[in-house]
Amino acid sequence: MSERETLIRFDRITKAFGDRTILDGVSFDVRRGEVFFVIGASGVGKSVTIKHLVGLLRPDSGDVWFDGQEVSRLSEEAFFPVRKRVAMVFQYATLFDSMTCLENIALPLEKHRGLTRDDALLEARRLLDRVHLGKFGERFPAELGDGMKKRVAIARALTVNPEVILFDEPTTSLDPVSARRVDTLIRELSDTLGVTAIVVSHDLTSIFGIADRIVMLYRGKVRTIGDRDHFRHTEDGVVRQFVGGLADGPMEFG
Amino acid sequence: MKNPMETPPPLTEHDAFLVRLGRVCIDGFEGGRALSSLFLRTLWFTFRGSRPKGATAHEAFEIGNKSLGFLALTMGFIGMILVYQSAVQLGRLVPDYTMVGANYGELLVRELGPTIGALMLATRVGAGMAAELASMVVTEQVDALRLCAADPVDFLVVPRFLASLVMTLMVVVLSSAFAYGTGAVTAFIAFDVRFDVFANLSLIDFGDVMTGLAKCVAYGAAIPICSCHCGLEAYGGSAGVGRATTAAVVLSSLAIIVLNFFISAGAFLVGL
Amino acid sequence: MAHSDSPSLVRRLGAGTVETAATIGAMLALLGRILARATPKRFDRRELVRHLEFMAIESLPIVIVTALFTGAIVVIQATPVVQRFGAEGLLGWGAGFGVLREIGPLLTALMISGRVGANNTADLGTMVVTEQVDGLRALAIDPLEYLVVPRFFGLVTTLTLMTVFSDLLALFGAAIAGQALIGLSMHGFYNGIAGGLIQFKDVAHGLIKSVAFGLIVALSSCHFGLATSGGAPGVGRSVKASVVTSAAGIFALDYFLSFVVP
Repeated sequence: MSERETLIRFDRITKAFGDRTILDGVSFDVRRGEVFFVIGASGVGKSVTIKHLVGLLRPDSGDVWFDGQEVSRLSEEAFFPVRKRVAMVFQYATLFDSMTCLENIALPLEKHRGLTRDDALLEARRLLDRVHLGKFGERFPAELGDGMKKRVAIARALTVNPEVILFDEPTTSLDPVSARRVDTLIRELSDTLGVTAIVVSHDLTSIFGIADRIVMLYRGKVRTIGDRDHFRHTEDGVVRQFVGGLADGPMEFG
Repeated sequence: MKNPMETPPPLTEHDAFLVRLGRVCIDGFEGGRALSSLFLRTLWFTFRGSRPKGATAHEAFEIGNKSLGFLALTMGFIGMILVYQSAVQLGRLVPDYTMVGANYGELLVRELGPTIGALMLATRVGAGMAAELASMVVTEQVDALRLCAADPVDFLVVPRFLASLVMTLMVVVLSSAFAYGTGAVTAFIAFDVRFDVFANLSLIDFGDVMTGLAKCVAYGAAIPICSCHCGLEAYGGSAGVGRATTAAVVLSSLAIIVLNFFISAGAFLVGL
Repeated sequence: MAHSDSPSLVRRLGAGTVETAATIGAMLALLGRILARATPKRFDRRELVRHLEFMAIESLPIVIVTALFTGAIVVIQATPVVQRFGAEGLLGWGAGFGVLREIGPLLTALMISGRVGANNTADLGTMVVTEQVDGLRALAIDPLEYLVVPRFFGLVTTLTLMTVFSDLLALFGAAIAGQALIGLSMHGFYNGIAGGLIQFKDVAHGLIKSVAFGLIVALSSCHFGLATSGGAPGVGRSVKASVVTSAAGIFALDYFLSFVVP
C-alpha cells in the first residue's frame, strides 16, 4: 500500500472528567483514505478521543489537527464547517425517534443543501438504497433492528458528503451477520468513495477483517500503532492479551 | 358472508374523530379503574403490609421538610398578590379595607391554602415520586423487588401515601400561616390596614375549617396515588421516565382541581 | 439518621443561593442565545407550526377541565361574600375580575407548565441523554436553532392563546355555577361582567401576565431539558426541576407584575 498523506493528527491530548483522567497524552496520525481502527478495553477513552475531532468534547490540553488546521479551540459556530467534512455515526445510532428513516436522512439535506422537502426525500431514498435499506424508508427507528438502525445512521452521515466518517462501536451489540454487513459497508465506502473511516471498536473480527491501520489505547496512552500484521505478531503481552481475547494476562483494569 | 380479512374502508375525518373520542373515553375509564385499584391496594397494605421500618419517615422528610421552602415561597407570593388584587377590586366599589383581612382569612382556610398548596405539592412531590418510581421501573428494579417477594405497592406506594397524608396537612398549615403573614404585610404597606384590623378571624367558622381539612386529606391521598400510578406504569427508557413524570404532574393537578370542585360544592350545598 | 451529618443551615443556604443564581444566569444566557437565533432567515417555520399544533392539542383537554371547574369554584367561594353584601348582581363582576386578572392566567400557566413545559423538558432531556442532540451537532445542525427556538416560541404562543380561551371558558363555568347555586340568570351574570366595572385594562392585565408566564415556562423547560444528564433517572430529575422552577417563577413574576401592570 502506498504511503498516503496525513489528514488528521491528535497531538498529546489529555482529558479528565472530574478527577478521573481518561486521556493522558494521546498522539497519533490518521492518513487520508484509510480505514483506521481505535481499539482498547471498555472505558479506556476510545470514544472520548474521536469526539474531540468533531468538537463534541474539548481537550484539557493538546491539539487536534484536521487537514492542516487546529480545530480543538474553535467556537461551536466555527466547528460547523468541520462537521460538514467529518461525519459521525454514534454507538446507539441516535436517529431522531420522531421521524421516519427517510425524514431522518432528509433533515440535514434540507438544512445544508437547501433542497426542498420533496427533493430531499428523493435524495434520502437514494442514500438509503446505497446502504441497502431502500425498502424501509417509511419505518420509524423504533421498528428497526440495531443493525439496520446503524446503517440508516451511516446513510444520514453520508448526506454531508463527508471526507471522514467516525464510527463509534459500529458492530457492538449486533448479531454476527449484521456486524459483518456493517463491516462490509465501511470498507465499501472507503474503497468506492475514498472516505477516511475512523472506527472505534473492540470487535476482533472487524479489526482483523477490514482495518488498514490500528491504534491501541491503554491506560490513557497509546500502547502501539501499526497494521494488522503488526498486531498479529506483536511481542507486547498487553496487546497479545487483548487481540487474543484472553482472560489472564498482564492487562490492568480500572 | 363478509370476508373477515377484508380491510375496513379508510376512515374519514369524522370517523377518525369518533375513534379518537372513543379511545379517550376508554383510556379515561381504564385509568380510573387502575387508579381506584391502586388506591384500594394501598389501603389494604397500609393495614396488612410489612414494609421496612423508617421508610415512611424518610418519605415524610422528603415530602415535608424538603418542600416547605418551595411552598412557603409560592404561597408567600400568592398571599401578597391576592390581598393586593382583592383590595384593588374592593376599592372600585367601596374604599373601605377593614374587611379585607377577614375575607382573606376565610378564603385562605377553606380554599387557597389547601388548593394552591396542593397544586405546588403536586408539582414538586408528584413529579419527584413519579420520576423515582419510573426510573426504578425502566431499570427493572421494580421487577427485582417482585422477585424478592416484596409487593411494590406495599414497599413503594404505601410509605409515600402515608407520608403524604400527614405532611400535606402540615406543610399546607405552615405555608398558609406564612401566606397570611405576607398578606397582612401587603395590606399594611399598600393600603394602610393595621395588623390588628387585618387579623380579624371572625368570619372563619367551623365549616371553613372542616372544608379546609377535608381538602387537605383528599389532596394528600390523591397526589401520591396519581403520581405512583404514573410512575409504576412507565415503560421505554428515558423517554418513558419523562412521559411518566409529565403525566404525574398533570394527573395530580387535575385530580386536585376536580376534588376541589366536588368538596367545595358539597360544602356549599350542606351549608358549611 | 440519614441527614444528621448534613452541612449546616448557613452552608446549605449559601449553596442554595449560589445554585439559584447560577440557574438564573444560565437561563438568561439561554434567552440571549435564543433571541439571537430568532431572525427570519434562521427561523424554522415548519417546526414552529408543528410544535404549535402539537402543544395546542396536548393542552386543550386539561385547559378545558381546569377552566370550567375553576370558574365554578370562584363562584362557589364568592357567593357567601356577595350574599353578605346583599349584592348578587355583583357576582358576575366579582368572578370576572378574579378570573381575568388573576386566576385565569395563573392556573392556565401552571397547568400548561405541567403539561406542555414538562413534556418539552422530557423530550429535550431524552434527546440529550440518548445523544440525539450530539447527533444534530455532528450533522452541523445547530440544536438551539432547530430544537429550541421553535419550541420556545411555540410555548409562549400556546400559553397566551390558551389563556384567552380559558378566560372565556372559566367565565362560562362561573355563569353555570351562578345559575345552579343562587339562581342568577346567565343574563344577570353577563350584565355583571359587561356592566362597566370590568374594563379592558383588566383583560390586558391578565394577558400581559400570561405572556410573561409563557416566557418563564418556555425558558425553564428548555433550560432543564438541555441540562439533563444521567440517563433515564436524569430525565425524571430534569422534568421535576423544570416544573418546580416554572411554578416558582410564575408566582414571583405574578407578584411583580400585579403591582407594575395597572
